Amino acid sequence: MDWSLFLNLTVSGLTLGAMYALIALGYSMVYGILKLLNFAHGDVFMVGAYIGWFVLHGLGGPLGTDIAPDLVLLLMFVGAMLGCGVLGVGIERFAYRPLRKAPRIAPLISALGVSIFLQNSALLIFGAAFRDYDTYHFVGVKTFQVGNLFISGPELLTIGAAIGLMIALTLFVDRSRTGKAMRSTSYDREAASMMGIDVDRVIAITFFIGSALAGAAGVMWGLVFGQIYNYMGFIVGLKAFTAAVVGGIGSIPGAMVGGFIVGLAEAYSTGYLPQGSIFANLYVFALLILVILIKPSGLFGQAAITKA
Amino acid sequence: MTDGPVNPEPPTPPDGQDGPQIGRDEWVARVEGRREGYHGIMRPIREAWDRLPRAGKLTALIIPAAIFPLITAEGNVFRYGLFTMVYALLALGLNMVVGFAGLLDLGYVAFFGFGAYTYAILASPHYNLHWQAEAALPVVVVVCALVGFLVGLPSRRLIGDYLAIMTLFFGQAFVLFVNNANRIKFPFVGYTDLTGGSNGLPNVDPLNFFGYKLGDTRQQYYLLLIAIVLVIVMLYMIRDSRTGRAWRALREDPLAAEAMSMPVNRLRLLAFSSGAAVAGFTGAIYVTIATAALPGDYDVGLLILIYAIMILGGFGSITGIVFGAIVVTSVPELLRSTANARPIFYGVILIALVMTIRPWKRLAAVLGGLIAFGFVVHAIASAWYPRLVEGKAQGSGWFADFLNHWMLFPTHVTTMAQVLYIFMVAAIVIVPQLPRLWRTILLVPLLYLVIFVWENLMIEQITGATKLILLGAMLVALMIARPQGLAGEAYVEIV
Amino acid sequence: MRRRTIAFAGLAVAIAATVAFVASTATATPTRVAARSSAGSALVKCGKTLQIGFMVPATGPAASIGVQQIHWANYYVSQYNKTHKAHKIKLVLEDTQLGAANGTAQALQGAQALASNPNVLGVVGPAGSNEIVGVTKTLKDAGLAWVSGSSTNTTLTTDGTRTGYMFRTVPPDAVQGVTAANYIQKTLKATRVYIIDDEEVYSTGLADTVQARLKAAGDTVTRTGVSQQQSDFSALIAKIPSNTQLVYMPWQLVPKGQAFGQQMQAAGKGSIKLMGSDGLYDSAFASVGKNVYDTNFPLNPKSPIIKAFAKAHDGDGQYFGAPTYAATQVVATAVTKACAKGTTTRAKVRAAIRATNIPVNQSLLGVPIRFNKNGDMSTLKKFGVYKSNGSVFVPVA
Repeated sequence: MDWSLFLNLTVSGLTLGAMYALIALGYSMVYGILKLLNFAHGDVFMVGAYIGWFVLHGLGGPLGTDIAPDLVLLLMFVGAMLGCGVLGVGIERFAYRPLRKAPRIAPLISALGVSIFLQNSALLIFGAAFRDYDTYHFVGVKTFQVGNLFISGPELLTIGAAIGLMIALTLFVDRSRTGKAMRSTSYDREAASMMGIDVDRVIAITFFIGSALAGAAGVMWGLVFGQIYNYMGFIVGLKAFTAAVVGGIGSIPGAMVGGFIVGLAEAYSTGYLPQGSIFANLYVFALLILVILIKPSGLFGQAAITKA
Repeated sequence: MTDGPVNPEPPTPPDGQDGPQIGRDEWVARVEGRREGYHGIMRPIREAWDRLPRAGKLTALIIPAAIFPLITAEGNVFRYGLFTMVYALLALGLNMVVGFAGLLDLGYVAFFGFGAYTYAILASPHYNLHWQAEAALPVVVVVCALVGFLVGLPSRRLIGDYLAIMTLFFGQAFVLFVNNANRIKFPFVGYTDLTGGSNGLPNVDPLNFFGYKLGDTRQQYYLLLIAIVLVIVMLYMIRDSRTGRAWRALREDPLAAEAMSMPVNRLRLLAFSSGAAVAGFTGAIYVTIATAALPGDYDVGLLILIYAIMILGGFGSITGIVFGAIVVTSVPELLRSTANARPIFYGVILIALVMTIRPWKRLAAVLGGLIAFGFVVHAIASAWYPRLVEGKAQGSGWFADFLNHWMLFPTHVTTMAQVLYIFMVAAIVIVPQLPRLWRTILLVPLLYLVIFVWENLMIEQITGATKLILLGAMLVALMIARPQGLAGEAYVEIV
Repeated sequence: MRRRTIAFAGLAVAIAATVAFVASTATATPTRVAARSSAGSALVKCGKTLQIGFMVPATGPAASIGVQQIHWANYYVSQYNKTHKAHKIKLVLEDTQLGAANGTAQALQGAQALASNPNVLGVVGPAGSNEIVGVTKTLKDAGLAWVSGSSTNTTLTTDGTRTGYMFRTVPPDAVQGVTAANYIQKTLKATRVYIIDDEEVYSTGLADTVQARLKAAGDTVTRTGVSQQQSDFSALIAKIPSNTQLVYMPWQLVPKGQAFGQQMQAAGKGSIKLMGSDGLYDSAFASVGKNVYDTNFPLNPKSPIIKAFAKAHDGDGQYFGAPTYAATQVVATAVTKACAKGTTTRAKVRAAIRATNIPVNQSLLGVPIRFNKNGDMSTLKKFGVYKSNGSVFVPVA
């Protein structure tokens, strides 16, 4: 048993999984409240990565920052989270709110339209070339070595920050009044509004939080993998979506666990299964189909009592 | 296209809003929609169209299509005619699955690709099989129907959204498989180059019916035309048959359908299979036109295109789909050059303004204000910030001259335009939310900003990013304005 | 009821008419087919300005190499326009966005635009082998020949479908693969090699050649692939055994190669040598470290053309684009020759390209430019091998 391979793959999987989990949270929360699959969420993640890049270069770029690198990182995260949060709220108001009473397929198509719009607006404004975070000259990749295990600074930051954000979210949803409002709205929207909860506001907050988390994931992606481009949201969004479904769509702990499961699955299949690096995506999708067939509501989801 | 009784006095809506309300009774929605939709000029045309029996409508569509190849020479226009028909066929097949049966299938183009590859394997130098079309086509259709059946099997336990996810992943899995099939160790045969990997399968034989080769583009066109007519006729017949009605019931309310002892699972599988069969058939014909089966052709881009056709035309509406296919293939072609793009852009803005700003006076005020605003801004800029007007509009002609005097064209415009683009998108989201007076006042500078960004930034990328941006915006706008598509039937969803 | 009958009658007439037309076109088939295959026989008037199509990745993930090609092509055109009085050359640029998700679709649109532009007489490019596969039919149907300055996949010229239409001023991958394999084996003496392709036509061809040769010599070779759309190589890197001596990665996108190299270092495997192919010939890839190698197109580094270009571009030779200069030279020379009488056809331009014979003193490739019947230059027999000095590539072989 090659422990070093296993540990390195685990680190790789946890890093990926942390990012997937953050994005999956957005999918799950929105689905829980609106029963809407927000196709545009992956592109919000992409926008977050770009915002982080612009903040980085606005402050002088990876090689020439005047202020401490830690502060730069913090500003990148804050900027991306705020920007994406506002973007998410805007999308909801413009593209989904008028369609609350329309047949289910209408907001789905609208989400698709928003996704295409975002991808190509990024193409128009930012160009098709890859943008580089140049982390390795910037943060100064300190690769920590524990025995045979290599873990780099950005990877550690990603896992740590993601866990921190998830803890904060869980506390928020469990303890605060708004969190309670969110939970009850996702349970039954009409009843919640009859109880005096401002449903529109709750939905806006949900979108804000979900998009902010995706924005944070975008900055993390840029730091760990270095390159961002305008179509990166599509496949990452798809996998995060897989994570949300595997964990049980609509369930917050489900999204977190699902994210890590998918990340680890991707890493392990690349490492262990035949032709893994080529077919890793295929294996992940196969996992999804398996989970759906065995337990359609996902790991943490409740068996849906639907009329259909 | 329905023959229900038409009540001369439709009941007034309880809350006094005009327009069919999605979410209300379907019959009411339809009647009011009918009465509502026929205003002004379009009225006699639409009424005449509705009075035509179906065969008449079909004829009206076929005759221009049949004449088309005779008046155009070989070349790009012709090729777009071919592509229009391929997309229309695909959309019609998808219509069976999504429009008739209500199953959201996001992996549909994988069946298209499956048919294409199967035919390519059977009729190319790859394995040295050169089957003739009359043997290969039925095989393709049967195999694809089988695959559709298999894909549909897990759908029994899945409701709408999960089905969408699963089919989406199936589509992705197909592309991945086809791209890398030359590296897979199959159970009995070991490594074999099944699909040519990323090279695809080139040099596919042209269609060969009983020794008669259809190598000419014109012949392929007519073959496609015949195929479309057959499929349309088949769709009409299915729609009114027991199965069609059962599908409609399944779409409207699956639980009630099951309670009515309809074999829901069998219907679902049938829908999947038939849709897959049509897609496979189209794929086989397509691959003979393209002469090669390449993995990239069967990916998400095509899926979005087909769905755009269906959305534009309306779910469930056959004429709408044909119309949608024509629009979706011709509009990007029209948009290729600046000279064509401009009239379309300004035309769309004008139409949008005319349709949303109701009292004529208000509309005139906005337009007049816009023109005046432009001249004022231009004058101020010429006087104080000359660098803002030193550039020139793209293209030539009287309109470009007008623009040169009316619109700002800064010299190093790119960064500024990019920032303003973001600002413009934000403004488009915010301004409609404001109270009415503010809305009208801010509309003028907003329009100016939009035209600025268009002229300075978007018009250059008209074949690439801009076209798709407009597509995305169109989808969103269409869903908000008319969720059932242009010619679709407004329906109520019971969840 | 009557209306219905009329309508059905109309439908029957329409179908009958359609069938009749098909039958009539059937009898007219021979002339139709003949007309198609001599597409490109349309007479074009050679005005003062001769237009040449230029398909290149001006934007997109491969823009860094596309831009080099643009500079070289423009350099040739400016030299030509200075020295020729009878005609001027104009390049009609079509951006193919090689490597972008919809790159092949963009290339196809560009090809269609050039094909339907009656003044375009020949094409320089496309750059990528997968693009060429996509646009072959369009350009062939329009009768246009194309000369590529960077597409190296061997089968493009040997499978017989592009004979007379496709030419290139770079040797095919069969040669590049041999050069790389020889260098790996004989000079670097690596026996444990990991080959990663990027799942595209260009890359798998090269990887196949190198793999076959190394295996024949008895080396330990592991082969896998990774998609161009992938950013996360960490799992793949974890799988690479740490006693691997060299990773051969014939990729097309410089940013991916750079990211891979950096992630290798982050995983503690920075001591493993990396070797790319011409697609990765860029200082960004070289900046990964000093144990990075690359193969690139054969040129004559002492050529005065190259020296003049480097001087005009602040000492930057941009060698990846140099064969594009040669390609532009070929097309421009052919078009000028075909236009000697004032009108010409695309077919004549094709013939002129086939008969190209540019002497060695006008060629920056170090050999006279002549094509064999497949469209290759059989006089180009070896690729150049380069090593990174930490920031750029310098020749070592």
